[in-house]
Amino acid sequence: MNLWKTVKRHYSLYLMLLPILVYFIIFTYYPLVRGFIISLQEFQMIGRGPFIGFQNYLEVLRDPQFIQVTINTFMISGGILIVGFVFPIIIALSLNEVMQSVFKRFTQTVIYLPHLFSWVIVGGIWIFILSPDGGLINEILTWFGKEESIHFLVREDYARPIMIASAIWKDAGYTCILYLAAIVSINPSLYEAADMDGAGILQKMRYVTLPQLVPTMKIVLLLNIMGILRIFDQVYVLSNSAIANEVDVFMTYTYEKGILQFQMGIASAAAFLVLLMTLLLTFVTRKLIRYDEGM
Amino acid sequence: MQGSPKKYQKRVSYFQLCNGLFLLVLILVMIIPLINVWAVSFSSGISSMEPGVKLWPADFSVSGYQRVWQTLELWRPFFNNVLVTVIGTAAHVLLASMAGYVLIHPKLVGRKIIVSMIMITMMVPAEAIMIPLYIVNKELGLLDTLASLVISGLISGFSILLMRNYFLSVPYSLAESAQMDGASDFKIFRKVYMPMSVPGLATIMLFEFVSRWNQFTPALLYINSPEKYTLQLALMSLIVPDDATSSGDFFANNVQMAGIMIAMIPLLVIYPFVQKYFIRGINLGATKE
Repeated sequence: MNLWKTVKRHYSLYLMLLPILVYFIIFTYYPLVRGFIISLQEFQMIGRGPFIGFQNYLEVLRDPQFIQVTINTFMISGGILIVGFVFPIIIALSLNEVMQSVFKRFTQTVIYLPHLFSWVIVGGIWIFILSPDGGLINEILTWFGKEESIHFLVREDYARPIMIASAIWKDAGYTCILYLAAIVSINPSLYEAADMDGAGILQKMRYVTLPQLVPTMKIVLLLNIMGILRIFDQVYVLSNSAIANEVDVFMTYTYEKGILQFQMGIASAAAFLVLLMTLLLTFVTRKLIRYDEGM
Repeated sequence: MQGSPKKYQKRVSYFQLCNGLFLLVLILVMIIPLINVWAVSFSSGISSMEPGVKLWPADFSVSGYQRVWQTLELWRPFFNNVLVTVIGTAAHVLLASMAGYVLIHPKLVGRKIIVSMIMITMMVPAEAIMIPLYIVNKELGLLDTLASLVISGLISGFSILLMRNYFLSVPYSLAESAQMDGASDFKIFRKVYMPMSVPGLATIMLFEFVSRWNQFTPALLYINSPEKYTLQLALMSLIVPDDATSSGDFFANNVQMAGIMIAMIPLLVIYPFVQKYFIRGINLGATKE
């Protein structure tokens, strides 16, 4: 009875929460359940397809194209994960040593900028500068005596490195700013103590700054891990038929199967496998880096 | 312990030099492609197709802008984008702050369950449920409407928790005393909490504006009719000639780059504000339960 009273007293609060809960149920929870059901069915355009157990999952796992996109996803995302983790730390450490605050601010402003742009914009810029006819990169290469243009975006050997490089170009500045914010909040007395001990610049980086950045590193790593299997826009924009085999990832596979070929059962099964892998990866990472301890 | 001060000084400046050079190279790598895009967008069609490193418009011309805006009718997707962004952002900020406000009440029955329900949604990437989401939109008759794009991402767990963390920094005694005076919950939210949380609101508004403006995947999934294209979709058919949506037209470089510039300008306009609120938002978002 008492419970009912408190609920009633706060009914306007529940009313304010109602649209949010309805939204999440219709656009997150219901699709999750629905997706799982579809993945167990033989999909038919009209009416309900019969349940076929885990047949779709088996078919996905036996599909050579799925094996290929698995390799691609882990190669590309793995590259983005590693380079995208290390490089911003280097930039942040380097920026922290800059004394002129105008130069420092300007650098921050410039490197963070591409993070604001969509993958269509960034992809458009990269396609343009990598173009074989008059693209910026090929023009610069002619200064070094390269006569023939390189067709960067249709070469299989360049495909994955270009995906990784463009992702770093877009997002390194963003991650770097996270580290800089953490560096600013390091207690200055730690540096004073290091100075007293006669530590040089590199020693201070190694023994003071880096250990103090560990909590931020954990957050960055976890956020990146949660995102790696879902990359889609970037690949959709930068991929083409010549390199698709090297760069197509889980989500482009799902999109192609489900939306373009209307094999919704297969696509949903693939999507669920990805969801499971993401949860597993997140869980393992949390345990490995002891995310929940000492934060 | 003192060492030789002179030697130390020299090593520092050598380090500073290398460091400065490294950052200079970095700046160039980031900024030259953007300058290149800008320069080409203001070149004439012919000069934009000529070889050479272009960091300044060869012959200042706005023909690329004219063609992309009028002939190719980029104004239409542009205004569709404005519409979806403005409505979507306003609704997002309102709903997220409302939910955030509700969740600060310690005595609310079921608060823990609701918070975990919200946090679970943050673990589910929208891409992973794109197929059932497509079906839901289809069943609700939302396919090929701009409304589907407003609804997609209308609420996010991230924004709710961010606003809740912001509201928690407002003394709860204010809410309690207003309650004593007989103010309703919604009134307290509107009259006490909203005005005191302008920086928090600005933070999620800016975040949301940027992601709305750039929203691509939902548009790709739900929109078919060219007159309902949003900017990112129109840009896609402009820059990727072998994309299924384009009719195999050929666009000169200056036209393509003008399109990219147009999509970037609103983001550049709000960039100073984004920079101002970005760190604050991160710090708020990272605060744990």
